[in-house]
Amino acid sequence: MFPASRFDGRHADAVPVRLRVEHHDLIVETADGVVLDYEQLGHVVVSEPFDHTPRLIGLPNGITLEVYDGDGGLTGALQQAGVRLPLAVRLQRHWLGVVAILAAFVGLLAVGYVRGLPAAARWAAFLLPPRLEHRMGEQFLVVLDKHHFRGTRLEPQRRAQITERFARAAAAAAPGVTYRLEFRAAGKNEINAMALPGGIIVMLDGLLNVVEDDEALAVLGHELGHVIAKHSTRQIFQSVGVGTLAGLLWGDFSGVAASVPVALGVLRYSREFELEADDFAVMLLKTQDLSAEPLYDFFLRMLEEEHERHRADIPIFLSSHPSTKERLERLHQRLYEPSR
Amino acid sequence: MGRPPRSGLRILPHRARSIRRGAFKLDRASRGALVCDEMGETDSGLRAEHRKALDDEPHVVGLTFSGRGSEYFRIWVVNLALTLVTLGVYSAWAKVRKARYFRQNTRLDGHVFDYHGRPVAILRGRVVAFVLLTAYTWTFQFSNAAGVATVAMVCALGPWLLMRAQQFSLANTSYRGLRFGFRARTGEAYRTLSPVIALWLAPAVGAALTRYDLWFVGAFTLALPWMHHRIKRYQRANASYGDSRFSFTPALGRFYWIYARGVGFVLLGSVLIVAIVVAMSMRRGHAEPFAASSHLETWLYGSLMGLVVYVAAGPYYAARLQQLVWSRTRLGAIRFRTEIRAKPLFLLVVKNVALTLVTVGLYWPFATIALARYRIECMRVESEMPLSALAGGVQASVVSATGEGAADAFGFDFGL
Repeated sequence: MFPASRFDGRHADAVPVRLRVEHHDLIVETADGVVLDYEQLGHVVVSEPFDHTPRLIGLPNGITLEVYDGDGGLTGALQQAGVRLPLAVRLQRHWLGVVAILAAFVGLLAVGYVRGLPAAARWAAFLLPPRLEHRMGEQFLVVLDKHHFRGTRLEPQRRAQITERFARAAAAAAPGVTYRLEFRAAGKNEINAMALPGGIIVMLDGLLNVVEDDEALAVLGHELGHVIAKHSTRQIFQSVGVGTLAGLLWGDFSGVAASVPVALGVLRYSREFELEADDFAVMLLKTQDLSAEPLYDFFLRMLEEEHERHRADIPIFLSSHPSTKERLERLHQRLYEPSR
Repeated sequence: MGRPPRSGLRILPHRARSIRRGAFKLDRASRGALVCDEMGETDSGLRAEHRKALDDEPHVVGLTFSGRGSEYFRIWVVNLALTLVTLGVYSAWAKVRKARYFRQNTRLDGHVFDYHGRPVAILRGRVVAFVLLTAYTWTFQFSNAAGVATVAMVCALGPWLLMRAQQFSLANTSYRGLRFGFRARTGEAYRTLSPVIALWLAPAVGAALTRYDLWFVGAFTLALPWMHHRIKRYQRANASYGDSRFSFTPALGRFYWIYARGVGFVLLGSVLIVAIVVAMSMRRGHAEPFAASSHLETWLYGSLMGLVVYVAAGPYYAARLQQLVWSRTRLGAIRFRTEIRAKPLFLLVVKNVALTLVTVGLYWPFATIALARYRIECMRVESEMPLSALAGGVQASVVSATGEGAADAFGFDFGL
């Protein structure tokens, strides 16, 4: 016998009743023994047991029973009658199990972040129709032009020279790859170059003002490496993936709205992407009968610039991660230890 | 185990009397931070003695919350793990289990609330929300025309979706076997919400299409209290419980006043942070504190600033606005009041944020429970007659059949 409140679903009145579980049936009767409801347990919905709540039992005809089951008697009776608890409820009953699940969750999240997400982003980036990717890049350029870039002040002659030389190298290193070279200026002589989605490569005056032509070719080769591997699109997809997952796991769904634009703003390449692009640059230089030296020189120059400028205007797209030093060491190995 | 269940019925005659005398403010100020929690333990002898003499006095009943962090932690972990394993599909089921946990642990007058949302309906709603949000986020990346088209679609569908969302949330909440409801019609939803949605999207559209982004942001900021008030009024005035309707007395001026004071706090906090940053850079010997900081530092200071502003201004807004909104809300002869206050809420949020950071997020479910407990246990329901006596007069709504249909259409969360 379990004391309960009965609500008929039509009025807010609470009627005090008693419950009995017999075989596979639930019987509801008043204090003086008048049977009000008689239902098979298979037809009633019993709420999940929580530590300090009454159990709520829904009968098929809209009637609700509120049972204070402080000593767990009802839970036991239901269990005996064969009412099974859902999987999720059984999982969360024991602390040890919960800790194990938490560990598995963290592990899975880590593997997903390190392996799954980049793979999914890569798959999506190569699935994206080139036309859409191109438009995305154009739109990026429009936004950057509006908020960040100025027109170039470079002499047309030097621009044509750089463009032409790069075109020859690109045709040799990666025939058939489409790209578009744009010249811009930004900040206080910001030293930077970047690859936008869809093959748009932007060169800033600040960079071209401090480098030799071979070094400019090396940097362009590096950016073309990003273009070929669709690094920028993949990076965007990865950021969006992180935002979406975080929204799903921690926010209610509205969180997604807030996190996605933020994620889009952080366009930064991973270590692997940068090293991959470096390798491509070296390959491109080789087609022009050059060693990796121009790229090495460029990074050396960047290191000097970093010291000089107090790390103020360091080009985020080029030197954020991995460190310039690490890349220098790597190139040094390729240049002077050919056995490797 | 744990604490014994408290008596749900908490008529507090001595308290009601002090309100009459106007001594309420003094009384409130003299109590500590957890004033709402302590009030549960009323001496029952005293209560009976007072009740006789105070039959004409209003009955004040508080809500109690029996959720526990240690219990919710386990639910949370299982929900997170299953959501990840199912690539997000389980999030709808997780949402239902969470909603049930919080509603069933909320007790008023000896009875608990319940949640009936069907996970499949919530999943459907989430798919729609996901498609719309993805479209909204991405189309401007491809072209302005597509972006404008999406915004137009969001404007066209938005009021209807929001109305459905509110219907879903309320129609799936029950108390004493009766469902709450939301009775707005489509026409009213569009009249009320279209301008709000248009203003909400204005900064993004303005930034994409024109050079006057700041003007749009300015207009948006000035209109924010108006938008908030409009939504609250719409939500409250159309809500129902069984066959009785909630009502809401407009308070636009008060909304602006609270927002203005909140902005004052934010400015004060920002000035303080700027002062700290400048002082820190000076000590390191930089001539120009801001020009010399790298991107990483800018990010760091930026997020720090955001956190401080959230911690400082959020509780003030939340407490004041809840006080205001509840004091203007009625359900027939039943009045509402919340004793939530900015300072204890602020201390609670500080504690929550700090412990969540220290425990790398593991404190999150405990924080959620602590916040829910404070908010819920601050609620007071006042009526001339005991609630159990009033309950006899409330019946199920006649339109409940369509209401239930609506309840299954979309499960949507906007967190408004």
